[in-house]
Amino acid sequence: MHIPDGYLSPSTCAALYGAAAPFWYVALRKTRKLLLTRLVPLISVFAAFSFVIMMFNIPIPGGTTAHPLGAGIASIVLGPWASILTLSTALFIQAFFFGDGGITALGANCFNMAIVGSLVAWLVYRVVAGRSAITSSRRVVAAALGGYLAINGAALCAAIELGIQPHFFKSASGAPLYAPYPLNIAVPAIMIGHLTFAGLAELVVTGGIVAYLQRANPSLLRLTAPGVPLPQEETQQATMTGWRVARPLWTAVGLLMVLAPLGLLAAGKAWGEWSVHDFADPAARQQMAAASRNVAPPAAAPSGLERLSDIWTAPFPDYLPPFMRSAAFGYILSAIFGVGTIILLTLLASWIALKVRPGLDHAPASTKES
Amino acid sequence: MPAKRSGTRGFLERSTSSFVDAMEHAFYAEQTARADGLLQRVDPRVKLVGILALVAAAAASRSFAVIAGLLAIAIALAALSHVSFRVLVNRVWVAVLLFTGVIALPAPFVTPGLVIWHLPLLGWDVTEQGLASAGYLVLRVETAATLCVLLVLTTPWNHVLKALRVLRVPAVLVTILGMTYRYLFLVLQSAHDMFESRRSRMIGELTGRERRRVAAASAGVLMSKTFDLSNEVYLAMESRGYRGDISVLDEFQIRNFDWVMLGAFALVSIAAFWLGR
Amino acid sequence: MSTTNTNSGTPVPVFEVLDATYRYRDVTALDHLNLTVQAGRRLALLGANGSGKSTLLRILDGLCFPDEGTVRFCGKLLTEESIQNDGFGVDFRRRVGLVFQNPDAQLFSPTVFDEVAFGPLQLRWPPDQVRRKIAETLEMMEITHLKDRSPHHLSMGEKKRVALASVLVLDPEILLLDEPTAALDPRSASHMINFLVRAKGGDRTVVTTTHDLDIIEDIADDCLVFHEGRVEATGTPAQILGDAPLLKTSGLLHSHLHVHKSGEIHTHSHLHRHEH
Ligand SMILES: Nc1ncnc2c1ncn2[C@@H]1O[C@H](COP(=O)(O)OP(=O)(O)O)[C@@H](O)[C@H]1O
Ligand SMILES: [Mg+2]
Repeated sequence: MHIPDGYLSPSTCAALYGAAAPFWYVALRKTRKLLLTRLVPLISVFAAFSFVIMMFNIPIPGGTTAHPLGAGIASIVLGPWASILTLSTALFIQAFFFGDGGITALGANCFNMAIVGSLVAWLVYRVVAGRSAITSSRRVVAAALGGYLAINGAALCAAIELGIQPHFFKSASGAPLYAPYPLNIAVPAIMIGHLTFAGLAELVVTGGIVAYLQRANPSLLRLTAPGVPLPQEETQQATMTGWRVARPLWTAVGLLMVLAPLGLLAAGKAWGEWSVHDFADPAARQQMAAASRNVAPPAAAPSGLERLSDIWTAPFPDYLPPFMRSAAFGYILSAIFGVGTIILLTLLASWIALKVRPGLDHAPASTKES
Repeated sequence: MPAKRSGTRGFLERSTSSFVDAMEHAFYAEQTARADGLLQRVDPRVKLVGILALVAAAAASRSFAVIAGLLAIAIALAALSHVSFRVLVNRVWVAVLLFTGVIALPAPFVTPGLVIWHLPLLGWDVTEQGLASAGYLVLRVETAATLCVLLVLTTPWNHVLKALRVLRVPAVLVTILGMTYRYLFLVLQSAHDMFESRRSRMIGELTGRERRRVAAASAGVLMSKTFDLSNEVYLAMESRGYRGDISVLDEFQIRNFDWVMLGAFALVSIAAFWLGR
Repeated sequence: MSTTNTNSGTPVPVFEVLDATYRYRDVTALDHLNLTVQAGRRLALLGANGSGKSTLLRILDGLCFPDEGTVRFCGKLLTEESIQNDGFGVDFRRRVGLVFQNPDAQLFSPTVFDEVAFGPLQLRWPPDQVRRKIAETLEMMEITHLKDRSPHHLSMGEKKRVALASVLVLDPEILLLDEPTAALDPRSASHMINFLVRAKGGDRTVVTTTHDLDIIEDIADDCLVFHEGRVEATGTPAQILGDAPLLKTSGLLHSHLHVHKSGEIHTHSHLHRHEH
């Protein structure tokens, strides 16, 4: 799932660096506050561990083996924010030093695996594990499921990123410039492998490590498990810090929601069939305007957008007004859906964090506890 | 090549051999980074920015000729920097072909466009657009991978990290990256030793379930060790006055030669961006 | 020179541990321990594995704090809060240096140079002074040639030397050494002893933990025998080395089966001494 350089257009890469940046920022702020001077050694050594775990061959049912991602276990043990930093660090070294995953695609890889992976795993684990005891087998199930869904969430993001490439980025003759397979091929092709092999490996590793830690080192599972409630005032403080620190994230998400569709559409134009000169040419402008409202004859519409419109307009019946069937509309709508889903997930996550465990302001392992 | 070993020893063996591969890669990189070649003499900051610009140009280009030109430049730089051709072929090109090449294989048949050939027997259509897209993908991935490997093979890793400071990466992240790399080998070694000893003690075949348990428990042991280590590292840092703010020595100096190289990188990448529009 | 004197003129000990108890969840590592370290003395803490030596050094270095009892540094109470205090904390870190038992934990930087630079940079020395002092220290420890190497590739002896250098670069008045010769082959160990004897310099206070009886006469003026978190005995190296029953009960002297030339097998206690 490590996307190499050359599979994603520069604008997609930039957009995903942009999407990852606010998460990195908030993760760094939050973990600094949480871990204080412990941040550097904990993240570093754990990133080294994450790197090595990705090299494990995990035997999965059916006799073959697959590499795990380790996002689930990192998130369960460290919490989602430290996990984002940890996995991003591991991915960075893989990309720069070992050539595993591209440098231009690093933002995308971090977004998919470190960010989406960590958040999904953590959310699922917290919801499914509930308030069960540290050593309960419900936690093993929760962890296994969290790991499984995390890697599949990450894979789905990667599949969508790859799948939109041929819709937007083509040469003059219509040859896809980057990943060549459209969504209807890319998504099933990637997901089948992850719903089965890779997902199972993740399931085995995440559940298995949690089961092992329950026996051998349960203190490592304490951070993301419900503990004794903190005194009232500390809870309040935790809530406030949580919101204050997270504010840039919300601003960024809001901006992203507004800018991402516009940006990607603009990118679609710039990298698609319209050149910069077209913007100055009144005739071309008219054409563009026409195309985006789906009024002009199909031959004049940019083929990338046109193709996309087939996909996006599919769920919208023909009797809707034409603008609702246009590619641009469909794209904006889906971007809003996507970002909205992320916001909802994050809100839900914060809500659960406050409900289930009033204060996360504990270093995961103080000298005495580990 | 022999068929993949399956069974108990198989999965341990495959894991161990990936650990060994990683260590060998690091060893080779350290060796070539110390050689006396063209790129080794360039200031790491110039090299980092320059190579990233070339990678970006290769990623943005819509012209085969421009991407191929960048690949040729990468090969020339490799030759001038004592990076052996054999290593490029084995470690980069073949590896890329085995992955991206296979992924690109169906593209000529499934991409709609002008049919230029009919596959005999199977009767599949090969389209011009499909062939071009497979070509773009493979060429671009090869070029970017070659450029990236040059950076690592000609620059000591800690210099790459310090060079990131010019891209405004915060010092705390640079420190984390440096420390991760340093402990990577300790954890790798530890995992390697653990698997080797497991392997030597393993006599009979394990059932699938037992094998999964061994794998997960190994990961768990490794993780507990990781935590103990991070705690001790934390104490060692604190003992030497660490209070949460990192300060680093930025010790590179730009010489005339570096300005020349910076100019060359800028020229080539701007030209590639322009020509590859 | 550096020793603080109270108004009455009696020297205040560098460290004064009173009735300290430290527990790791269910393990009691230090059990109502009392200890005084006088300025300028070289103290050896002898004890078998697990007797609590490393824990004690961490407490002296202000990294852990006893659950019960108190620790004073030059008369000032050493607590989590007092270490957090900028003035005292920075001064304490500059004056006290600890060389860890496990060099892999202590050497966390990408290269030897960065490692030795870490302490001075944290204490915000000016860059020129940092560079000069590093060069001197590397030279003194004979590791200049390892400057750009990654700690991972060093031998155990080299790692221990780099770890010592990374602390000596700060010129601490009080040096805490955790098993400086453990896991070293005899040649590296005697090399290390030379450095330690030299590093003593002026009136530095040195506390060394070890279970290696061979080295204590070289590195210590006073000895303290540790057993299960308590002080079992104190004395000069000669006194301690002469007390075989004590060494035996505290696990420092071992006896095991031997095959002699005659083919006869028997047990006797063992005390290795090097010839000088
Ligand atoms: N991090 C830790 N967690 C739990 N127990 C520990 C930890 N560190 C040391 N101990 C225990 O405390 C006791 C004293 O250990 P230590 O101070 O390291 O002894 P020494 O240095 O003399 O070998 C031992 O029983 C050891 O197992
Ligand atoms: Mg010890």
